[in-house]
Amino acid sequence: MKLGSFLRFVAPSAALMLLLMALPLAVTFFLSVRNCALKMETVTVVQSSPFGQREVTTQRAVLGPDGRPVTECRFVGLGYFRTVLGLGGIEAGAGSPPPEASGAGSAGGSATARPQRSTEFIGALRFTMLYTLATTPFILLIGFALALAVHHVGRRWQGPYISAALLPFIITPVVGALAIKWLFRDNGLVPHVLSQFGISVFWMAQAWSAQLLIIVYGIWHVVPFAFIVLYAGLQSVPQDSLEAARIDGASAWQRLVYVTVPHLAPLFVFITMIHVMDAYRVFEPVVVLTQGAFTTSVQVLTYYTLLDEQNPYKASAAAVLTTAGIAVLLLPLLVKTWKEHRRGD
Amino acid sequence: MNRPPLRRALLATATALALVPTLSQAKCDRLTQVKAGEINIVGNSFPALQHIAKEMESCTQGGLKVQFKMTPRAREETEQAFASQGRSPFDAAVVSMGVYANLESRGQLQPMTDLVNKYRTRYKLEESMLVRVNGEVLALAFMQNAQNLFYRKDLFDKHGLKVPTTYPEMLAAARVLKEKEPSIEFPIAQTFAKGWDSATEFANIFAGFGGRFFKPGSAQPDFNSDAGVKALEMMKAMTAFMTPNYLASNSDDVMNQFQQGKAAMGVLWATRAARMDDPAASKIVGRMAFAAAPAAVAGGPSATHLWWDGVVMPKSLGADRETVFQVLMEALDEETMSKGNDLTIWVRSAYKPTRFGSGVSASAKAGAPIWPMQPFFSLAHGEIGKIIPDVLTGAMSPKAALDAAAAAYVKAAAEKGFIR
Repeated sequence: MKLGSFLRFVAPSAALMLLLMALPLAVTFFLSVRNCALKMETVTVVQSSPFGQREVTTQRAVLGPDGRPVTECRFVGLGYFRTVLGLGGIEAGAGSPPPEASGAGSAGGSATARPQRSTEFIGALRFTMLYTLATTPFILLIGFALALAVHHVGRRWQGPYISAALLPFIITPVVGALAIKWLFRDNGLVPHVLSQFGISVFWMAQAWSAQLLIIVYGIWHVVPFAFIVLYAGLQSVPQDSLEAARIDGASAWQRLVYVTVPHLAPLFVFITMIHVMDAYRVFEPVVVLTQGAFTTSVQVLTYYTLLDEQNPYKASAAAVLTTAGIAVLLLPLLVKTWKEHRRGD
Repeated sequence: MNRPPLRRALLATATALALVPTLSQAKCDRLTQVKAGEINIVGNSFPALQHIAKEMESCTQGGLKVQFKMTPRAREETEQAFASQGRSPFDAAVVSMGVYANLESRGQLQPMTDLVNKYRTRYKLEESMLVRVNGEVLALAFMQNAQNLFYRKDLFDKHGLKVPTTYPEMLAAARVLKEKEPSIEFPIAQTFAKGWDSATEFANIFAGFGGRFFKPGSAQPDFNSDAGVKALEMMKAMTAFMTPNYLASNSDDVMNQFQQGKAAMGVLWATRAARMDDPAASKIVGRMAFAAAPAAVAGGPSATHLWWDGVVMPKSLGADRETVFQVLMEALDEETMSKGNDLTIWVRSAYKPTRFGSGVSASAKAGAPIWPMQPFFSLAHGEIGKIIPDVLTGAMSPKAALDAAAAAYVKAAAEKGFIR
């Protein structure tokens, strides 16, 4: 193909990718190296409410001539990246003298902030990685087993079977996580059944079981995706190869391992890539199932920063780092795919 | 299920139709100087709010169309709308006092003093409904809420226990029930879930010990104090009488433990009280009673905080300000409130308290403070919520954990410009 026509074919999708993928990333990066804050002043006011009147000293935004709060923005470089990683942070109020803050005494200046923050991020990263690595093999194995089973049951049962198997994937994650939580919390079905056998487990009371619950939820939720992809793949396994193998005396197991699985290999890679990307952003089960007890994920930290701290700049730094983390995780798979692509040329 | 015979159904319909004219008097029909157009209001979703939202949407007089958007993301949507550079997409919002505090600190609220004065008699506006800052009305409160003591009256009577007025008394009662009451394995249930829930419990008990969150007149933290350590030690002592799943127990879970008859006492939101008598979900109908949240120390204030919900308007709105105000007031009038008397704890004096709301007024009488309103409070609250599990599980000492939370708070507050 000539370069000119190649470019003309590629241009629309390249433009869309720039607009929808590269541009938001660039904007996020732009936000992550800045910080904007309202200019606040200390005021003493009289507040009245249904509960009576009181005088309070608080802070309030300084309003500009247009009646809107005055915002001060500045460049903070990689300060927020350091904060998120627990390596330090941005210095407060560059360009303005620090008045009462430095004399604040025992409350701990920003210098003592490091230990807590870094353990928080490392803890979140550790659980996110554990979740990603623990769920992936089970999803591939169980999904493949289900696909084989459906492939071999009679035509009559395939429809209902597929619909039933897809249910966990269709259910909204929050609802699914809530359903699993209700199965395992006090008075839930699982503890009740176990107690009939004299076994008493409080699932959210220690790290191993809380983490296990989220991993089980993750497997339950994503297996249908692997199943449907692999089931579709099974339909395209060349029948003549299978027949040839059979004539050559290959057992069912050998046909599976030497014909079917190699044929489906690209699909296994595809499912792994998609799931690694999704798993790295695990969020709903952590928030809903365990409420973060013994389990914090990288995405939950970002969410906290954005909504509870209302700091989109720091949250952007966390988002950029999440994207970088996914890229690192995917690197081996991407390299493998690229090599195969080159070999195929 | 018995289906009513046709004739009875017809009779019922006819009666209902006959009643319509009297009911419609409560409909939105007193508006004056209406400017036609669309009015958009946003708020969360709960029964009391659904009740007043319906009243707002019934305002169709003079070409008016009121739309109430109910969303669990009301807080985010309200804050974004009120911060917008041009006109706010919402002309009013129903907010809790936490959101109000943020909007107020950013100067994003529309003062309503003149409108209140003009319409005070028509809508019987009471002084206690008016939320003022230096005399200027910025919100109108209509309902209140607080965490108060829930306790199983039947079990307390059975074992001759008196209602605890302090946390040490609560621990003593829990010890008795754990030993003597076979149906109760874990006597206390409270919302000790990581994050917002446990931080709120801390705030209650901490205030009960006389703690203050910030140094006077500044945003510098002061919660890593003796009172803070005492509050955390009290929480840790309580966990001995709670389900080991306490770190994942939010309001829903605590409510469930009460409804299933698995827990005998605890401090929980008053808005959950009526659900104790819901026969579809509760095994303990009529057996739960309500009292003031216990004090942290004998003679101290009730260790909880008082909350209100109210309506606010943004500084710059698309619809006509006076029309929006009247629509809001139609929904907050005495008649609408009386029709939904049992839905919540209303602010209006005509409200007839039910037994479910009794714990809130008892807590208020016992000196419970108002929830802190500084705009930087939520940052401190958030950092405290992160460290509580480490203290309760023994991974960190109370003092070390509070110091770490204070240091993290200072950083977050500096990023937001509260500490320079």
